[in-house]
Amino acid sequence: MVELERKDIQGMVVSAYKHLTCSAYLLLRVTNPVGARTWISERLPGVTTAETKHEKISINLAFTYTGLENLGLPQKGLDGFSFPFQEGMTAEYRSRLLGDIDENDPTGWDWGGSPEDRVDVLLLLFGEDNATVDAELQRQQAGLADRGMKVVKTLFAGREPNTHEHFGFNDGIGQPVMEGTGNTRRQLQRTNHATELPVGEFLLSHPNVHGVIAPSPTVKPEEDPMQLLAVVPPDAAGLNAEPGMHDFGRNGSYLVFRQLSQRVASFWNFLDKATCAADGASDPAARDRLGAKFVGRWKSGAPLVLSPAKDDPKLANENNFAYFDKDPYGLSCPIGAHVRRSNPRDSLGPDPKTALNSANHHRILRRGRSYGHRLENPLIDDGEERGLHFICLNSDIERQFEFVQQTWLNNPVFSGLYDEVDPLVGNLAKGDRLFTVQAGPLRRRVQNLSRFVVVKGGAYFFLPSLRALDYIGKLQP
Amino acid sequence: MTHTILTFITAVKQEQVGNLGEMLGQIGKNPETNAWVPFRSLKQLHFASFVLHKAPGYGAYLVFENNFDGTLEDYLPDLYSQACTGLHQIYSCCQDYSVASATDRHGMLNYLRAHVVRPNAYHIGNTGRTAERVLREKTLRNALEQQADSLVRNGQATSDQAVLANLQQFVRSDPQWSWVPGAGPRETFPEKLVAWAKLIVTGVAAVVLSPIWLIPVLLLLLVLRYKESTDPVQTDSADSDKVQQLMDEENRTGSVQNHMASITNVKPGWLRRATLWVVLWTVNLLARARATHGSLSGIPSIHFAHWSIIDNGRRLLFLSNFDGSWENYLDDFIDKAAIGLTGVWSNTVNFPRTYFLIFGGAADGPRFKAVARNSQTVTNAWYSAYWDLTVQGIDNSSSIREDLLNSLDSTAASAMLRRL
Repeated sequence: MVELERKDIQGMVVSAYKHLTCSAYLLLRVTNPVGARTWISERLPGVTTAETKHEKISINLAFTYTGLENLGLPQKGLDGFSFPFQEGMTAEYRSRLLGDIDENDPTGWDWGGSPEDRVDVLLLLFGEDNATVDAELQRQQAGLADRGMKVVKTLFAGREPNTHEHFGFNDGIGQPVMEGTGNTRRQLQRTNHATELPVGEFLLSHPNVHGVIAPSPTVKPEEDPMQLLAVVPPDAAGLNAEPGMHDFGRNGSYLVFRQLSQRVASFWNFLDKATCAADGASDPAARDRLGAKFVGRWKSGAPLVLSPAKDDPKLANENNFAYFDKDPYGLSCPIGAHVRRSNPRDSLGPDPKTALNSANHHRILRRGRSYGHRLENPLIDDGEERGLHFICLNSDIERQFEFVQQTWLNNPVFSGLYDEVDPLVGNLAKGDRLFTVQAGPLRRRVQNLSRFVVVKGGAYFFLPSLRALDYIGKLQP
Repeated sequence: MTHTILTFITAVKQEQVGNLGEMLGQIGKNPETNAWVPFRSLKQLHFASFVLHKAPGYGAYLVFENNFDGTLEDYLPDLYSQACTGLHQIYSCCQDYSVASATDRHGMLNYLRAHVVRPNAYHIGNTGRTAERVLREKTLRNALEQQADSLVRNGQATSDQAVLANLQQFVRSDPQWSWVPGAGPRETFPEKLVAWAKLIVTGVAAVVLSPIWLIPVLLLLLVLRYKESTDPVQTDSADSDKVQQLMDEENRTGSVQNHMASITNVKPGWLRRATLWVVLWTVNLLARARATHGSLSGIPSIHFAHWSIIDNGRRLLFLSNFDGSWENYLDDFIDKAAIGLTGVWSNTVNFPRTYFLIFGGAADGPRFKAVARNSQTVTNAWYSAYWDLTVQGIDNSSSIREDLLNSLDSTAASAMLRRL
């Protein structure tokens, strides 16, 4: 059993804080580094760690590359971060691989899309109810200006009555478990399935799925005169982390944040039109069935692989299934369905064991929450903004988050398909995309999908360890 | 039908590097119909690339990659007639090119022949398919997909046999599909026989002769083991400017493929050179016999890949035309083919720490990727005859064409219809 340094790890790594149903995300900019560092030191005692569960409120703190740069992290430390983090989410070629083009183009984002719109710091607040979150927000915002910080944007989330996202489907069922968290039993009880992954898949400076140390940024010993950071031991040197260096990244994680706006009415109207009778009459059952085919689970969450014909609320959180034996041709759960694309399990390639092992090298810990109010009649748009604040944690943005996005979700030739992308979040650019529902004797190709999810903002953050937070707060000019 | 995989490698005149780079940049912007080498008009061609590589101690090289149908002598006349003026301009930037004008056909072809480098090892994803066949089978599949759509729309998709009969009728009734029944085998029996015979004869010979080679090889392995425990390995992330340049060219909109060109320095000493040569020879022997159904050691995404030892054994050139993202390609290598890959590249500098040549190495994902990025060189111009097709997709279309007009029992019919 791996022993985690729980006091050093921010709480959201080990918990999704499901008991804290409301949240707010403060996107901040550093205007004066001296003040901002004091602000960080002042926050430190309040930052929730992986050691204790707080019943009312939890607080976590993350930084972009520009944030760490502006706060004065030594160059060696900055250079030790991975490229995607250094460059940010909006480099032109990253936009291409993430599908952030056309309507998703960063130039049209509400935040994070341009350098003038710079975000340095992300303060995440989770509370048991709106009042708690609002009170904490007031408290946090009060001293900001004095401390050289400016609010770029405040985002709220987690107001849904249950774990269903806005299209209406139960979400957040499949999650890998990080070793050492003790979450395996809970996950097994909840979903009948748990995939344990090494600590280094989510926290830097620990062994990853390849059995090697996840690369971590370090600073020179003389850049850490107060000895706040751990020293890299001789037998655990990773890329950029020579023995004797002081480990800034250890126990930290890359946090990916994307604001995904959901067009709920156009989603359900599209499904309605695609399933209506010849005379134009709606067929609600067929509509729900096609929706489930898009997602790969029924609204309750029941997987199509296990319950192909109809929804079965008994299987709402069921996650103990695979594709290779049960549904190799996608007759139950289409090959291109959202859950099959975002985690193909054992389905890619001729050998299910190799395929599963390979797929598990690209997992992420999801920490996202819905925002906005539920649309009362999913067929009638109310003009309000709603969606998902997608947040995930990983140790290798390219191998994990970006891989899922590029090689699985947005890949037009995923698993032998031709010219189609993920029907929910894929880059459905020109309304000419299709979705294949495998069936006998012939598949059905649903044509002219339009974009149902639009990216409204995003950035790559780093969620440091408590030691690293302390170190940032005490950096000298 | 055989494919030919080769490169023309020429040294570039120092003062012409900039000029040539600009020309290749123009070609890269419009590989299909540019004025120099309008690749689309070369009907035998599958993939081609120009790589202008500069390295200290070696000067500038132009690597012109060609993967085509038939033999070099089938291909050269076409290349000349479609691109002689452009090639003359390009090779005028190169050393020892003394052809006075593009009209000197004999001179230019001889120059090209003289600079051919054939790979030490190669892999082909879609064995035996000509470029023309790949494109034709794509049109056939598209037409069948449309027909299938209309059957579904009109409620005519009632049974496997009914649908199959309809599709067969659809193809038989239209003269534009008259070529459909004429598909040859992807690999002929003699081709298969030769490849397997070589493998078996070599295997038997190796066993029979083992009293002679076993002890020397074991000794050399110990020397190698000592060397690999002290060879320096990569310690830092890849060069970020390089990565940016490479990523700028990757994942072009509309294409499902990418190109990789890599030139690495072989570790010093004859032992490493000899080892590399033997490993590549073995890889090639195995690939000819075993990697004929689309995948190389479990990697299903490589159209054409080749390794060439150049500069008298001092450098290793690797060129690959593959499906999907770089990240996916490298991860496939790590997850499925780490041993073969390590066996080859562990003989080149900075490779992650290995054990007995083939173990460790690429399994160190982060270091391996950093080395791979650093060893890559920017592809100046790249052409694919079918940007939108994967190895698997091509195989699928071929299978449709091969099976469609046969009389199929219901199991086979439903398997056939699943291909749509």
